Amino acid sequence: MSTAAPAVGPRPEVAEPAPWAFPEPERFVLSNGLSVQAFDMPGQHVLSLQLGVPAPLAGEPREVEGVGLIMARCLDLGTTRHTADEMAELLARKGIALHAGVGERAVLVEVDTISRNLPDALDLLVECLTEADFPEAEVRREVRRRLADIGQDRADPASLAALEFIRTYFDPADRASRPGGGSRETVARITAEDVRAYHAATLHPDGAVLAVAGDLSGIALHELLEAALARWPSRPGHRPAEAARGTRAPDAGRIVLVDRPGAVQTELHVGGPGPSRTDPAGWGPYQVLSFAVGGSPQARIDSVLREERGYTYGIRAGFRHRAHGGLFLASGSVRGEVTVEAVEALLDILDLRGSDLTDAELAHAAGYQARTAPGRFATCEAVAGEAVSLALDGLEVDFVSRTVAQIRTLEPEVARAAWDRHRGEPWTVVLVGDAQHAAGIRALGRGRVDVVTQPREPSSSPMRAEDAEAPR
Amino acid sequence: MPLDYPIATRTLGNGLRVVVSPDHTVPTVTLNLWVGVGSRHEGPGRTGLAHLFEHLMFQGSANVAEGEHFSLLMEQGGTLNATTWFDRTNYFETVPTGALDLALWLEADRQGRLLEAVTQANLDNQRDVVKEEKRQRYDNQPYGTAIADLGSLVFPEGHPYHHPTIGSMEDLDAATLDDVHDFYRRHYAPGNTVLTLVGDVTPEDGFAAVARHFDGLTAEAPAPQQPRGQLPPLTAAPRVDLAEDVPNDRLYLGFRLPVAHTPEFLACAVALDALGSLMTSRLYRRLVRSEELATSVSGASLGLIDGASLGFLGIDVAEGADPAQVEAAVCAELERFAQEGPTPVELESSLADTERSWLEALAGHQERADLISHYTLLHDDPEHINTYLDGVRAVTAEQVRRAAARWLVPDARATVAFTVAPDVSTEVVA
Repeated sequence: MSTAAPAVGPRPEVAEPAPWAFPEPERFVLSNGLSVQAFDMPGQHVLSLQLGVPAPLAGEPREVEGVGLIMARCLDLGTTRHTADEMAELLARKGIALHAGVGERAVLVEVDTISRNLPDALDLLVECLTEADFPEAEVRREVRRRLADIGQDRADPASLAALEFIRTYFDPADRASRPGGGSRETVARITAEDVRAYHAATLHPDGAVLAVAGDLSGIALHELLEAALARWPSRPGHRPAEAARGTRAPDAGRIVLVDRPGAVQTELHVGGPGPSRTDPAGWGPYQVLSFAVGGSPQARIDSVLREERGYTYGIRAGFRHRAHGGLFLASGSVRGEVTVEAVEALLDILDLRGSDLTDAELAHAAGYQARTAPGRFATCEAVAGEAVSLALDGLEVDFVSRTVAQIRTLEPEVARAAWDRHRGEPWTVVLVGDAQHAAGIRALGRGRVDVVTQPREPSSSPMRAEDAEAPR
Repeated sequence: MPLDYPIATRTLGNGLRVVVSPDHTVPTVTLNLWVGVGSRHEGPGRTGLAHLFEHLMFQGSANVAEGEHFSLLMEQGGTLNATTWFDRTNYFETVPTGALDLALWLEADRQGRLLEAVTQANLDNQRDVVKEEKRQRYDNQPYGTAIADLGSLVFPEGHPYHHPTIGSMEDLDAATLDDVHDFYRRHYAPGNTVLTLVGDVTPEDGFAAVARHFDGLTAEAPAPQQPRGQLPPLTAAPRVDLAEDVPNDRLYLGFRLPVAHTPEFLACAVALDALGSLMTSRLYRRLVRSEELATSVSGASLGLIDGASLGFLGIDVAEGADPAQVEAAVCAELERFAQEGPTPVELESSLADTERSWLEALAGHQERADLISHYTLLHDDPEHINTYLDGVRAVTAEQVRRAAARWLVPDARATVAFTVAPDVSTEVVA
């Protein structure tokens, strides 16, 4: 036994944090129509450049969905001047990281470079944007890689649950019901010609936004960007497609169990409708509710499922905004043998009424969300990423500061009403685990339960094995 | 030219090493503690104990109720967590400047006054949570056991790195309250700990605040567990072939490397960049671009202190390609690299990539603090964040070639080969 515990002073009081606001960018528009937001962040030696080009996934041709992702991934795989291998070497020798992908609303290109290599990075970025020529071999390789990724997604319980969730939750006619990167069927069809056509139809500076964050001292950014990006011509009259509405399927309120025989855990995704960031109540109440319900080990869900019962390493839950509306989503994995108990406990917790939320837990959650903002936006990547995300939703960066201000003075009643407005039942529940739990799940009386099996044949999609009972 | 992040150090009377690196650009302070205990200190039959113990550090201490460590800090805008690895356990939190004292008070309470709050009930609960962590991250994931499988091939039976940090279910089940108490008394002491502050605090204020809360801690530091001698490279290319329910064939090739914080280790890291990590790497060019036998290639080096580090390559085999042919091609490239060494462009690219990623890592206070704690605790080198890139710049092509010729040759590899099981029943997820 050690000696008596050392002496301890009283628990320290905490001083109220200094006021904080999201950094204010310098804004300008280049002659090709590209909007720029420049954030000078002294001491940040690696610059983050993030480009968002409006190109909603809903605008992809239905039969080649996933073409946007293949196009993005092929941007640096061959241009009229350089082969893919030469381009990789040009980037590598300068230590420039260039990644492109797609989101719900846009093609996103991110470049990280130490500041002295900014001119080279811009030249290479513009070459990729304007001179990519999508060689057949590279497109074929990226198609093959995406097909391999699809296989890996299906083998990963969390990815599989996410895929099954969107398939169940969204209306089949809505683009949001299908994987952003396309399915096996559509991806396998994509040709270099499709990719070139999609590039020509979407990748224009009009309506696009570029955020640059980092230590900009001594950099004549405006001139540098103007010179480099002049080669990316405006296409006046270009109108990006409309983003998907995110319409919920008429039969979304049900439980789907994807059979994974012998799985030692069951992956859960439980979701319902939520607001967009332009909700009339503001975004603040939803940030607070997200934390109170599913943002920490002491939140409503994990205080029971993790800390009291030890069913899970952690279930996270919160509101997720989309271009139109949004979702409330809870997800995580639980020990296989307590699947039924865990689903019951989780749904019981989510039956929460606004009036059940205490002033103390709302104040606690508000404290967290308001006071973590400075730390959340301390790096270039976070600042530039948020600026682009907001701009694509038609919002300015003061949205962050306004939301923090709203949270600081949030009336508990506003949060309670916001919860009641978006309570998700009937929930869409997706479980990925052993189908032996189906009977127990049905016995919970939480509505229709469908069990689906995953055929091994990789080119087919999941099929329904049995349609169980109608909703009660 | 070295970087110039400010570094101030002080050691308290009880042996706690404190490092303060001021940065006033954001009104927050990051606290980062590295305690010199990890899975390399675990005895037979008690694997996973260091990590299970780390979970118990959030369940209350003498003056802090269960759950309060999280809730008190989060309410003030703190973000916090902890991690356990082979050589150490790491606790960290980032708080608004005004909550620095509270964070230090909470840390001091659990670092010095934990045991009276540890109960059988919270041991049992966190044991369940950790078992779910193990299932989620390893057992219920395709290829989830790869790193553990590599470790057991690369490091001999009885070596501190032979078993994975997460431990085994049997050992987790076997851990008793007495084990937990003994573990804390043996390892948790100011003299076995480094505390780094990065952010909105001056060295003078930082040292004073740390002393205010930690001076009273008196536990004696344990006698350090002396590292074993450097393990030589493997010689007989051990392997394990696993036919499992995985989406595609995948190869992992593991290598013993020199211990961390040595020029030889750096040379091996550059070699692995040139071989597998970069988009211009030899294996990527040959297997993915040219012969199309693989869909992805990766490479990494993991610096460790006890007798060896770990290097590895990962290759996703393309559908229809023969894994044996892929492995033979990798071996041929290893042989060629050991003879030729890196080209000037490979050396330049590795350095450029390292420079950007190092500066990116240092951009955030949390990662900067973590690197300072790391090199202070394990290598007594708090200035390492400023000098590391100079070390990388000094690596020559000949050093890389020699290191590769010794450590990264075909016979020195350990192979974990996953293949898609042919006889999995048809209902199983593909």
